[in-house]
Amino acid sequence: MIILTSLVSGIMILAGLVFFLGGSIGMIRLPDFYSRLHSAGMLDTMGLMLTMGGMALYIIHDLTLNNVLSALKIILIVVFIFITSPTATHAIVDAGIRAGMKPWRKRGSEAGK
Amino acid sequence: MKILGKITITICGLLLLFFTSDFPDWGDVNSPASTHLSPYFIEHTIEDTAVPNIVTSVLADYRGYDTMFETTVILTAGLACFLLLRIPRKDSIHRYYRHEPTGVTIRVEGDRYPKGSNVFTRIDSSWVPYDLIINFTCRLLIHFIQLFALYVVAHGHHSPGGGFQGGVLLGASVILFAISGNLRAAIKRFGEKTAAILSSTGVFIYAGAGALCLFIGEQFLNYSALGPLLGTDRIMARSHGILIVEIGVAMAVMAVMIWIYYNLSSAGKQDEGL
Repeated sequence: MIILTSLVSGIMILAGLVFFLGGSIGMIRLPDFYSRLHSAGMLDTMGLMLTMGGMALYIIHDLTLNNVLSALKIILIVVFIFITSPTATHAIVDAGIRAGMKPWRKRGSEAGK
Repeated sequence: MKILGKITITICGLLLLFFTSDFPDWGDVNSPASTHLSPYFIEHTIEDTAVPNIVTSVLADYRGYDTMFETTVILTAGLACFLLLRIPRKDSIHRYYRHEPTGVTIRVEGDRYPKGSNVFTRIDSSWVPYDLIINFTCRLLIHFIQLFALYVVAHGHHSPGGGFQGGVLLGASVILFAISGNLRAAIKRFGEKTAAILSSTGVFIYAGAGALCLFIGEQFLNYSALGPLLGTDRIMARSHGILIVEIGVAMAVMAVMIWIYYNLSSAGKQDEGL
């Protein structure tokens, strides 16, 4: 049982780190504001959900009241970030469009320029 | 003049760098701070004040006088923003109103504003359309932020937290409301007068708790004197005294944060803004 939860939580944390890595590479490499924001939003929600979920799972392998409470607190963090982070991304994109920022297009494509 | 400034800065920087060599090392056990004060605080906090959180007891009890003037500094910051930025709206500014049945927006000049009208609604000059997602999220979160802020204020003795942090959270919840909706809706719920009264009340609670001890016949801010009033022994009274003071700090910080935000975001007019 302990081995199984440790294994699952390890896999979840690793998968979350993959999202973090991809998100941070995307924030540097992607061409414009909107696509960078997309990768940043990805990093905040999916990466955080997987790593924190893995940690919560790892904590409750030893079932005591204190550990369950800690796991619940971690889950609360995830819930609030899951609500707020996409909203913040949405608001920033909205402000960018209202300020007249054009999305990036590939040079030579039909809709471009 | 610029060169003079640069020379002064260079000399000051060199002096500071030169004298840092006389400071005790980071975490030096033989430095005066770790040989006299810190051991006393660590060993005697529980028996003196019955507060498990040493930081809070140092902040609000051993150095309560210092924290009282920190709160006063915050009040002064709010007052300075008010006195520097606030301008009464008297000279002819125009407002925009929307006629709801037709959707026409009109610009009104002078003082002939349609007050209390059912068909005209006031809109900002930099008007932003209503956004369901942002509004819903903010409405959802504001309760939790305020609840957590009250927890932080009340739990400052036992865990990290206290008046300053809780006050900032409370203020941030109102500022979030103002950002998600508009400034006028926030001012209608938490007006400027409320902010002014609450900020000075917070400082008054702090100084008043100290002065009450003085009237009972002990030193200023010696909360043990409040024991008979609160119905506890002298040590527990220190813990309760810290809580009273923290509540005062939280009120002052919250009101000043909101007050500064109102003045900054509307450039002192408090008519329309972010």
